[in-house]
Amino acid sequence: MSQEMLAPLLCLIPAAPLLSAVITALLGPKLLKYRSHIPCWSALAVSFAASLAVLLLLPQQNSAATAGFIPPPDMVAAPEAESGAATAPAAIPTLAPTTAADKPEVVVYIGEWLALEPAPETAEVNPADTIPDKNRQRSGMRVPLELRVDSIASIMLAMVTGVSLLVALFGSGYMHHDPGYPRFFAAVSMFVFSMCMLVMSNSFVMLFVFWEMVGLCSYLLIGFWFRKPSAAAASKKAFVVNRIGDFGLIMAIFLIWTSFGTVDFAGVLGNPDRIQAIAATNSGVITLICFCLFLGAMGKSAQFPLQVWLPDAMEGPTPVSALIHAATMVTAGVYLVARCTPLFVLAPQAQLLVTGTGAITAAIAALIALTQTDLKRVLAYSTVSQLGFMFMALGCGAADPGLATMAVTAGMFHLFTHAFFKALLFLAAGSVMHAMGDVIDMRRFSGLRKALPITHWTFLVGAAALAGVPLLAGFWSKDEILAVLMAASRTGEHRLFFGSILVVASLTALLTAFYTFRAYFMTFWGPEKFPEEAGHHPHEATPIMAWPLRILAVAALLIGLAVGPTHLFSNTLAKTTGLTPFEAHFHLDVMALSVFIASAGIGMAWMLYVVMPKVPGTIAVVLKPFYVISQGKFYLDEILYVLVVLPLRGIAFLSTLYDRLVIDGLIDSLGTVPRVLGDRIRSLQGGVVTAYAGLMWFGLVVLVVICLGIS
Amino acid sequence: MPAFNELNQAAGLIIPEIILIATVCIMFLTGPFLVSENGSSPVGLKHRWGALALLALLCSAFAWLKAPMTDGSVGPFEADAFAWYVRGISLGAGFLLTLILWDQTDDAHAAENFACLLATLAGTSFVALANDLIGIFLGLELVSIPTYILLYLGRADWMSREATIKYFLLSIFSSAMVLFGLAWIYGVAGTTNLASIAERSHRAIPGFEHGMLIVAQVIMIAGISFRLTAVPFHFYAPDVFQGVAPSASAMLSFLPKVVGFAALLQILPLCAGAEGIAAWAPTKNQAWLFTTMALVTMTFGNVMAVRQTSVLRMLAWSSISHAGYMLVGLAVATEYGGQNPNEASGQAALMFYLPIYGIVSIGAFAVLAAAGTRTRPLRSLEDLHGLSQTRPALALTMAVCVFGLSGLPPTGGFLGKLNLFVAAWVVNSQLSRTLAVALAANAVVAAAYYLRLIGLMYFEAPKTILEPEPRPASAVAGGICAVSTLLLFASPQWLWNAAAAAVSLVTA
Repeated sequence: MSQEMLAPLLCLIPAAPLLSAVITALLGPKLLKYRSHIPCWSALAVSFAASLAVLLLLPQQNSAATAGFIPPPDMVAAPEAESGAATAPAAIPTLAPTTAADKPEVVVYIGEWLALEPAPETAEVNPADTIPDKNRQRSGMRVPLELRVDSIASIMLAMVTGVSLLVALFGSGYMHHDPGYPRFFAAVSMFVFSMCMLVMSNSFVMLFVFWEMVGLCSYLLIGFWFRKPSAAAASKKAFVVNRIGDFGLIMAIFLIWTSFGTVDFAGVLGNPDRIQAIAATNSGVITLICFCLFLGAMGKSAQFPLQVWLPDAMEGPTPVSALIHAATMVTAGVYLVARCTPLFVLAPQAQLLVTGTGAITAAIAALIALTQTDLKRVLAYSTVSQLGFMFMALGCGAADPGLATMAVTAGMFHLFTHAFFKALLFLAAGSVMHAMGDVIDMRRFSGLRKALPITHWTFLVGAAALAGVPLLAGFWSKDEILAVLMAASRTGEHRLFFGSILVVASLTALLTAFYTFRAYFMTFWGPEKFPEEAGHHPHEATPIMAWPLRILAVAALLIGLAVGPTHLFSNTLAKTTGLTPFEAHFHLDVMALSVFIASAGIGMAWMLYVVMPKVPGTIAVVLKPFYVISQGKFYLDEILYVLVVLPLRGIAFLSTLYDRLVIDGLIDSLGTVPRVLGDRIRSLQGGVVTAYAGLMWFGLVVLVVICLGIS
Repeated sequence: MPAFNELNQAAGLIIPEIILIATVCIMFLTGPFLVSENGSSPVGLKHRWGALALLALLCSAFAWLKAPMTDGSVGPFEADAFAWYVRGISLGAGFLLTLILWDQTDDAHAAENFACLLATLAGTSFVALANDLIGIFLGLELVSIPTYILLYLGRADWMSREATIKYFLLSIFSSAMVLFGLAWIYGVAGTTNLASIAERSHRAIPGFEHGMLIVAQVIMIAGISFRLTAVPFHFYAPDVFQGVAPSASAMLSFLPKVVGFAALLQILPLCAGAEGIAAWAPTKNQAWLFTTMALVTMTFGNVMAVRQTSVLRMLAWSSISHAGYMLVGLAVATEYGGQNPNEASGQAALMFYLPIYGIVSIGAFAVLAAAGTRTRPLRSLEDLHGLSQTRPALALTMAVCVFGLSGLPPTGGFLGKLNLFVAAWVVNSQLSRTLAVALAANAVVAAAYYLRLIGLMYFEAPKTILEPEPRPASAVAGGICAVSTLLLFASPQWLWNAAAAAVSLVTA
């Protein structure tokens, strides 16, 4: 397949949502009003179609190649040539043709975004030095605006645009008659644009830019109902907590630049020899880079202890929760770590940290989800927990570098399936919320399965997929995670570590099945009960809301089966730079384990919430301390408040005092000088003409005296 | 008949001014016949006169573009690059002022109003064209005398009359000073022809180092400083600006400054023994004089502006402080000025600053003219409260112009101040460096009251609700000003080239 066909397709993917965002933002409030979904729908449909085309056409790409409106032959060739010359002249860094054929990727050059020339004096100063200073030689920096698609990116793109399209369809029904209707679609379009650009970015700097852009869109959408204090506070919290992660990411970029001399993916990730050479000369730096990258991922993907923002983010409209805070943006961290696998394989400590953090997050979030009564919060904690699962898998390369590809495949596969069934669950929860008059507390309604049949069936499919019921989407991906953990616990020096992680993962999977079906039974079973906000009769989802639910339900049912056991997903993903194809096979033992786990969890939920609905109350009383801790979300917000917020407030208070008293005092006293002077001089300006004339005469005399005095 | 030929040739040099003066004559002579005895007039008469004024300006501008250039003439006029530039400023300001005046005048007095305005424009050009001390003085008076009428016609209330009388008396006083100073110069040089004075001064004829010349130029400068509103000859400005109609204030804030600086740039080089503006570096006396005046004027103007409660008085003080900034250009003028068009010289920076100041100042007054009504003109700062809610477009225009006045990017005002600052800085003497620092410090102080004005418009609730009176012409003038100051920030080079050319090719 030719370059000429792919290049415009690639450009179309982000361009359509951007155009839609601009159109909706400019024309929405006055012209489009409640038709604002039209540009968004059409743009996302175009993007999705283009993404699917790219996904299908990319494997036929026979070599790594670059296309562009302005073909820059020297510029594209330059980084590789430079990097090769700068580090190890012995190792020739050209990719072997066979490797290139395996790793199809397309780069579209759009324009120059940032180009810093190297400082000119280095060339003149350095020849005198006997030891060349590597860092100073590469002080130039170039960040072109390029769109890059390889296998992992094409999968992400198809997933992002597909889910976005369905959520946008659902959203037009859900946001019906909201006064901010145009704003909603403008922000969603902007988000999809940013997310696509994040996935398609070709350098760490561009990735960072769009990393911030998705953060901004998330901020805008969490605070969509900004007049509500809790929504405003939640959006602020999300933004601030994400800054901590961004600090890590930006430090990682600095470190990458100083040690690699470049920030584009090809230069950093595409050259294993180069990474080896750098790791050999400076053993700590790769590990440090990975720690910093993971800190960035922790912020965006809500990993412990930075997970606190995600449950609060549920203040946003439910379609936003489904799209940004479940399916796409929060998985950017996972994507980043997966993308940087070539770095992580050389940093086992960082990988252990990734797995450990993932396990802690998954377990804590699952425990919190057990007792939450807010349906959306249960789903939010389950998202945090599932993200923890993905990270757990990603770090398994620490046991044996050979496992890295399998680990990344497991993590990315779970990301992929999770996007569908979690978006489904959120949208179904949104449908419940819509029907219940915006009430989302599960204690206030029950037995909805007759009133909301479509919602009920789709939610059930999503819940079963999340719980890991065999043959559904979640089953295949969670199975792979458990399999890779099991493999890791059998090799290498960290066997004990991965063994305990496997136990935690299995228990968390059990909890997942339990709390998911707890929510399901509490909502849809039991006596029929509606809150008064719902009116006399709750209305089932309108067709525009129901169809996305149905489509997502089908996806949650079949997508795992379609691409999991057929190895379609793993084979496609393995074509990414830095990953090697591996022999995947079924793990019957793991499957048996996960089938048991899922059925046990669901069975317990059935027993406790349907058969014996009195028992949970008794358990809560008996295990009161644990119940309270879980209900209080492990008091992590409060702990962070005392440990982080209070000391910062103290510093802020002192700074304010200094600013008010010292700085402002100085400035204010300076400011009073003209005022006092002005008041004094005012008396001269009396308004009497003769006085003015006299003063002019006096002025003339003074001037004459001055001039004569000087000469 | 060589004398006749000479005169004929001279007339060819001033066709743009002849067009203006001819229109003035038509207006003065036929205007009264269209108004009945009891002062009533056909409705819409002012539109006809306004259109005629615009037509005259257009013809004049066309003639200006086609007018021949002379160099080293001994005749009564010298149409050099300097005159060309000043004429351009005068005609450009004329367009804007005509638009503002259009809304302000009533039908009965429209002819006189427009005629007076056109006469002042012609006077402005004459000062730059004149090749003779008497010509310069006549040009100055051709600006002053119609101004008295223009001020008086503007608004018929006691405040306006008091302001006009004040201006009239003090202006005559200052004209007398100028005339007295010019007489002394004539006494020293023995001729009134600028070319001859230049020749004599260049050959250093005995008497040119004489103390008499120093006194002569100080007296002349003092007289002209009244036009510039330089301290201590500024006293009339706040009272007059406040009293008269906004159209008259707009004109007073700018045209007299153009005239004054044109006259100074014509005469000062001669007194310093230089052959032209380009070759002029101020003598020690001149440098000290202008440095002192610049420092005092800008500081005084800004300090006083901070406490004003009337927006017109505030703009008057702001106009005074701008005179101070412009005087910096004279104080740091350098001999090499303008030889390299990109080199910041005092003269060129001053010439560059003049039109930029004119645009933003006229723009600010245009907004005041457009936002006020006939019965209730805008006076106090409170009248501007919440203008962004009641008249958003006007508020935006005002904000842009005020940004320009305070010298903030992205407006031409920033570049104007920057050039003055650079011109002062590169001279590399302690005096001029002090001046540069004082300029910067003053710009900061000034930002306080300018930004307060914007704050009032945008962050306060409206206090005085005025029934908006449609005044499209003023609004258009304001809009043109705001847009052009933004455009000048984007592409200032052509103006700078013209300004540099104006002060580098003159051989008086």
